[in-house]
Amino acid sequence: MCTKWRLMTQIGNQTKPAAPAAKPRGFWDEAWLRFRRRKLAMTALGFVVFMAAIALFAPAIAGTKPVVCKYKGQIYFPALGYFNTHWENPVFAKDKFRRSYVKLKAKDPNSWAVWPLVYQDPYRRLGKDDVWPGQPENPTGDQGHPNRYNLFGTTQTGVDVFAQMVHGTTIALLVGFVSMGIAGLIGIVIGAAAGYFGGWVDMIVSRFIELVMCIPALVLILALIAILEKPTIWHMMAVLGCTGWTSIARLARGEFLKLRESEFVTAARALGATHARIMFRHVLPNSLAPLLVPITFGIAGAILTESALSFLGFGAPPPNPSWGTLLNAGRTNLNLWWLVFFPGTAIFITVLTYNLIGEGLQEVTDPRLRGSKH
Amino acid sequence: MKISHPGLAALGLCFLVVVAWGPRGPKAGAADANAKQTDTKTQDPDTLIEPFTRPPLAELDAKAEWTDQSVLDGLELLRAKQAKEKPLATISEALKLTNTSPQNNAKILSALGRLPERTSDVNWDAPINRTLQMDVKSMNPILASSVAEFDVNGLTGFGLFGFDWTMRPFASKDAVVSWQTSKDRMADKIVLRNDLTWSDGHPITAHDVVFSFRTIMNPKVPVPAQRSGTDKLRWIEAYDDTTLVFFHKEALATNIWNINFSIIPKHIFEKSVQEDPTLAQSDVHVKYENDPICGGAYTIASRQRGQEIVLARRENWYMHKGKQVRDKPYFKTIRFRVLEDTNTSLLALKSGEVDESLLTAEQWTTQTKDAEYYQRNTKASGLEWVYFYFGWNVKTSFFSDVRVRRAMSYAFNHDEMLNKLFYGLYEPSNGMFHRTAWMAPKKPLPFYKQDLDKAEQLLEEAGWTDHDGDGTRDKMIGGRLVPFEFTVLCPIAADRIALCTLLKENLDQIGIVCNVRPLEFTVLQEKTQKHDFQAMFGGWGTGTDPDTSDNLFVTGELRNFCNYSNPDVDKLYEQGRKEFDRDKRAAIYGKIAELIYADQPYTFLYFRNSFYGFNKSLRGYNYSPRGPFNYSPGFTSFWKAVP
Repeated sequence: MCTKWRLMTQIGNQTKPAAPAAKPRGFWDEAWLRFRRRKLAMTALGFVVFMAAIALFAPAIAGTKPVVCKYKGQIYFPALGYFNTHWENPVFAKDKFRRSYVKLKAKDPNSWAVWPLVYQDPYRRLGKDDVWPGQPENPTGDQGHPNRYNLFGTTQTGVDVFAQMVHGTTIALLVGFVSMGIAGLIGIVIGAAAGYFGGWVDMIVSRFIELVMCIPALVLILALIAILEKPTIWHMMAVLGCTGWTSIARLARGEFLKLRESEFVTAARALGATHARIMFRHVLPNSLAPLLVPITFGIAGAILTESALSFLGFGAPPPNPSWGTLLNAGRTNLNLWWLVFFPGTAIFITVLTYNLIGEGLQEVTDPRLRGSKH
Repeated sequence: MKISHPGLAALGLCFLVVVAWGPRGPKAGAADANAKQTDTKTQDPDTLIEPFTRPPLAELDAKAEWTDQSVLDGLELLRAKQAKEKPLATISEALKLTNTSPQNNAKILSALGRLPERTSDVNWDAPINRTLQMDVKSMNPILASSVAEFDVNGLTGFGLFGFDWTMRPFASKDAVVSWQTSKDRMADKIVLRNDLTWSDGHPITAHDVVFSFRTIMNPKVPVPAQRSGTDKLRWIEAYDDTTLVFFHKEALATNIWNINFSIIPKHIFEKSVQEDPTLAQSDVHVKYENDPICGGAYTIASRQRGQEIVLARRENWYMHKGKQVRDKPYFKTIRFRVLEDTNTSLLALKSGEVDESLLTAEQWTTQTKDAEYYQRNTKASGLEWVYFYFGWNVKTSFFSDVRVRRAMSYAFNHDEMLNKLFYGLYEPSNGMFHRTAWMAPKKPLPFYKQDLDKAEQLLEEAGWTDHDGDGTRDKMIGGRLVPFEFTVLCPIAADRIALCTLLKENLDQIGIVCNVRPLEFTVLQEKTQKHDFQAMFGGWGTGTDPDTSDNLFVTGELRNFCNYSNPDVDKLYEQGRKEFDRDKRAAIYGKIAELIYADQPYTFLYFRNSFYGFNKSLRGYNYSPRGPFNYSPGFTSFWKAVP
């Protein structure tokens, strides 16, 4: 896009006599400084960090398993079972807890436990064996209005919406990062090769990119679900990643095509640097900024795709909580507004967030836009 | 009047409708296309019928010792039944009621289900807008396989037989003069009426019936549903235009269902079937697909694929040579709207665009109780013999042991399912026959209740304990420690997934890992037919005869997905088919139900009752164990009052 200009600044940075005390600021420092000044983008970034925190501490925020507990003289962390069932100590299965830790005191009077902030389960309805004395069972049908026990209400089957949304954050975040991580990796490597080597390599790779562009990711995911014995959310991320890299590759190709003619590449080549070194050590850092923008937008797109798939019932295998699945439950009865409003808002804000970050990145790294606001 | 329902009995006979799966809600799903392929051992490539020397009619009459069978009219039967019953409420009272209790439901059905007392009560020019949950693939009745196709063909097609709300079969008075069975039960003689015509004016004769039989038995014709049953017939002979004799291979109680199949016009298809045995591809067949020749009370007026099918009352069906020979159908036009999504059809019902719609348990409970709904509509429910189950593949290392299968039934929280997931609207099930059915065991079988202690005890007896102490049960099989982790397949539908998730949570409590895998309909079908699964969720509609369940439980049958095999059950099905006394048959099928209950190849879950919303202008709806439409009189008894 505007590599030349950036290149010039970079060269300029090196040659311009800097202020005596301060070290000259690099391109990324500069960009970060500008990014920090953009309130909207910074708020968005803060929100992503906040979501990451929610995802990480989900079992401590909402769950029915103690975060820490002392049972028969031993300290356990049953809440880890939400991440992986094998991390939940089998002693509880052996002692017939049957996944209901309300029995903890009855089984061992000397036990103590630190409970999650909200005692609700993202996978099942709290029935009579699961609730504390005085706590009502989760309502079902259209009775699950938000109340003090179910902050965001319950689904028709009586599963708490708040707990599902908290635990669903993990999927929403992972889908974006993992799929676009894969896409970024593939896209940059392939695009770099095409742009850097040019000629017949470029010719073949470009055709290959066009070929992949024709594969509809949704159809591929549907096919994959049919073939795989045990499809997981990871497979879906892999498919989204393996089909979503084309735009990144095209951009990378363009960047590399331009930069390979530049003086510093010639210089590096003259010094005897290998192709790989020139590509990834010298050219890539100079072309990364415009690539980050489609990656960020891609994250937003991946989240939407995941929600759409879950909405259609092809998403994360049940009972994995996902925002899209909740939306789908709400579709059948629009009177249950809480099934549409909360997950809908969450998806909207998250997608908006990534778009804001992407836009911010674009503006701080694109010199033509750089001066527009500041 | 009686509109014949060709094929419906055939559907019931061996092609239990796969109601359980399919992405389009509870009624969707088709009797599946490949399930019953007839044994193609026969050498003749053009027909599966073996050569037969027919006896002359006089000789047959002399030695057959014919006994008369019933030739009835569904509407007359219903009228006679209603004449004995006093309505529980007047029509205006019933229209004011909200259906919140079984008493109100009974009142609504009793008052609004009645037939018109005077012909002047009926709005003869009224149209009715009905819903179809999936589009009709073919208008050719012998190619029909889905519920939607039988819904439409039941009105446009010609058939000889019907059955009433108690599943009692009879020859239809609209088509048949007499029906006799030989003493050895090896032959059935039918005399057709001589005032029957196709919609193009050609007379319907015995030769059409023979031709249809031959077409169904032609292996080149892709008949999806009707060849099973029909293949039990030895021969059909048309002695003249109206006299037909059906010859059977064996004297079976189920023969009455075998002689009931769809009938197509010989003069239309005789030549073209030779050129194009698919009955769908050639120009001629495309022409008749779009504008079919009908033998029933209605013809196709227009059709937009994926959208709607409009039927029009056929004057030359009830009028013959200027004289009324049959009851005039109550509706002038019937518009079937294809509404695949249950939410959409409910909206259409609420806005008055359709007059009837199937309601889900959730819609019945939560979305059809306000004044806005009752402004235009009312609703009624009835028992339907459609049951749902978890099927355990008994050839897998997990479920080969009957104790494990029983443990599964004990582990599942039946109460939570019935009361919370289905709002207490469905009845529990403990076998394939409903407890009120004549073939159900005399001593009712107990329902399974959740009992985790018992489940754990059974699992431990079967050797499934946690040997390696990782919290999951396992067992040494072939020198390898196999963890108890399996996958349950289910269709992609919210309520089915919720059920399987409940199973998963229940099993998780006792150290078994169950993965829920929702699958698209065709994939699910393929996997289950290949027995390529460990556990599955499914459901079956009940056939008209208990023998129809044989292809689910007899060893090696095509729909015995779970590989269940019990020689006693096989023998009893064989016996039941050959027994003619209804009480003795009931005892045999009761015994079968008990054996299957003991073996638990299925964890029987619930009977899904049928719930419908009806426009307030509709009258005459009554329920049978096969829903409000598909029996005799069924839809034929629906009418609209003069406004």
